[in-house]
Amino acid sequence: MNLFEKIFNYQILSRLEESGTLTITSQERAWLKTMLGQPAAKHAFTEETLQKLQLVLQDESGMDIHKYVMEKAKSRENQVYHPLLRPLHRCIIEEKGMLVSYSTRNGRVHEEHEGYPYKLEYSMVKREWYLLWFHIKHRCKMSTKLSSITAVSELPLPLSIKEVDRIKHHVAILQAVRKTTVRVKVVRQYNRELSRILYAFSCFEKEVSYDEEMDIYEVTIHVAGDEVEYLLSKIRFLGKRVQITEGAYLKKRMLETSKKALERYSEEINLE
Amino acid sequence: MAKESFDKEIQFLRMLMLTSGAYNRVQFAERLGISVHTFDKTTRRLKEIAAASASPSVNTKDQELPLAVRYNYYESADPLLLFLFRTKSLKESESVRITHILEALNGQALTVMELIDACSSKMPEDMPLPDEKTIRSDLKYLESVGVIHKKNASRPYQYQLQDELLRSLSDEELIDLYDFVDVMSNTQVPSVQGYLLRDSLKKHLLRLFDEASSTEAFLYKYHYHSRILDEAHLYTLLEAIRHRRRVRFRYFTPKAEKTYTAQSTNPRFEREDEGKWHKSLPLKIVYDHQYGRWYMLSSDREGIRKFRMEGMTHLEEAESIPETDFQLKTAALEEKLQTSWLIDTGTPVTVRARFFSPEPPEPDFIKQRVLLQGQWGEIVEEDEQSFIYEITVNGIMEIKPWLRSFGSSCEVLAPSHLRRDMIEEWKEIQDYYESI
Repeated sequence: MNLFEKIFNYQILSRLEESGTLTITSQERAWLKTMLGQPAAKHAFTEETLQKLQLVLQDESGMDIHKYVMEKAKSRENQVYHPLLRPLHRCIIEEKGMLVSYSTRNGRVHEEHEGYPYKLEYSMVKREWYLLWFHIKHRCKMSTKLSSITAVSELPLPLSIKEVDRIKHHVAILQAVRKTTVRVKVVRQYNRELSRILYAFSCFEKEVSYDEEMDIYEVTIHVAGDEVEYLLSKIRFLGKRVQITEGAYLKKRMLETSKKALERYSEEINLE
Repeated sequence: MAKESFDKEIQFLRMLMLTSGAYNRVQFAERLGISVHTFDKTTRRLKEIAAASASPSVNTKDQELPLAVRYNYYESADPLLLFLFRTKSLKESESVRITHILEALNGQALTVMELIDACSSKMPEDMPLPDEKTIRSDLKYLESVGVIHKKNASRPYQYQLQDELLRSLSDEELIDLYDFVDVMSNTQVPSVQGYLLRDSLKKHLLRLFDEASSTEAFLYKYHYHSRILDEAHLYTLLEAIRHRRRVRFRYFTPKAEKTYTAQSTNPRFEREDEGKWHKSLPLKIVYDHQYGRWYMLSSDREGIRKFRMEGMTHLEEAESIPETDFQLKTAALEEKLQTSWLIDTGTPVTVRARFFSPEPPEPDFIKQRVLLQGQWGEIVEEDEQSFIYEITVNGIMEIKPWLRSFGSSCEVLAPSHLRRDMIEEWKEIQDYYESI
């Protein structure tokens, strides 16, 4: 198996695209066959579709890579697929409004709120699906775990095209506004660990700058407001290798964390 | 022709992705161990390929390469670096010919002679007309990668596209298939074949529905985009493992300044920082979800050896070893890996830590996270304010960052040297921020 096949070449690809010819290689089918063997497949298709796919792929050989590949530090996989993914995706495609009932973190239940769903988001960290939607009455962005949604149905009166456009516009503005910028410096004596540090930040939207004279690297990270806590845990993950240089709130939080952490160990520190 | 290597492109894209914008041309070229001229040439080439491979919804043509591969989460879940796998070089005439063959087979089955006619009539004037031998070898290639197959069992054979997967499904079912491929290639490893399939299905759906909304509903948070670059070596290594063969490669430790260097024609000019040649027997491949990195775990004269796949270049298979040796070594490695947080095969130690739950009515997100990420560790004691988590793990180095990421919600109880380490580190961190 070779990933650099002639058939994947970009010139062939763009030429075929013009004429609408599609090709699928046996490696792709082998991958699909392997993935269809996972429990998630049952939630992704109707029984009939799944049978059709298995029939089409019956002569293909699957991949044996799980014999030789191990995954480490993986979060427990709660859900790869959620039963609500299919209906909600249809709702998004058709740009339909919805009535949604859900419970919040602290257990409060909300019944039949009017909303406009626009994305389904999977967190690789929490291994869980979220619905991103716009709350029509409160005019705000919402993010709700699919597992917290108790019921969802179409709005009795469909949204007008004008209303949909207004909501989309609103969402775009809210997304832009809610981004926070944080700057983090790699402490110079840990420059040798640069690769690891940059890997840790590579899951964020970021830029890196390098001051050659001082031999200092700085990473500028842009995150949405609700992602700040996750960024903070990444910074704590890297410990003394990095230092926040811009972002008053996170700096304050790091100081509080270190003080409080040291209090936990105070007995020992006092003995020294 | 020598086997084409993509090491330079892989290292180039990785550095671009990780250091986004940090280096100027000279600094970038120097760290890659290539000349500025080669750097410019590679940039131009990759930019062209990126633009040609991008989905119609993303316009990268006018962008600088660093911007084109910049991670912008809200726009799309398209895998930014997939175009690496589209860089296999091909003669112009060959790509035109193969395209004509496939186009001719779109929707009908044809014999070799019919295909020669179809191709000949379409070849541009400045290109040589294909002869029978060439077309036959093209067909053989396309059959070998599973893109076409023979329709009938006896001569003259008729060839057709192997696209039942698309043809047997209704439009509705194709959306379900696209969704499944999208979800699995984004959340599982390996991903590259899934992404390639996703790319084809996406184009097909865009043609069917003529709007992007059908394919852009899913987003994936906190993705390690560069992880798919390492899959470039994955199948070479798996093949070597299957055949119980050693591999030979030039290794650049991630701690070195340089990450690649063009093959030197005169070995006398090779310096230490230009990578070291290794030969080792691959036994297992490990994917680390914490950083999105791949490792090769192998065995050589010094015992178990671990290599980051991102540092491996000039990889090739070497001699095979007896099956019994392979089995013995694999079994020994597997036993050690049972208690490694990532890949540490050192001495096991029992780590105990107290985690503090948030005050009610906050839900206990600390406990949820420990259960989610704590691998095989267990909660051994519990009261209303806190719980004790215990795990036996090889060494403390790999688990330490995870424990530290909980901040003051985690107090290490044992071993004492880990406890002391944590105290020292929190003191230093406090110093960083106390002056502000």
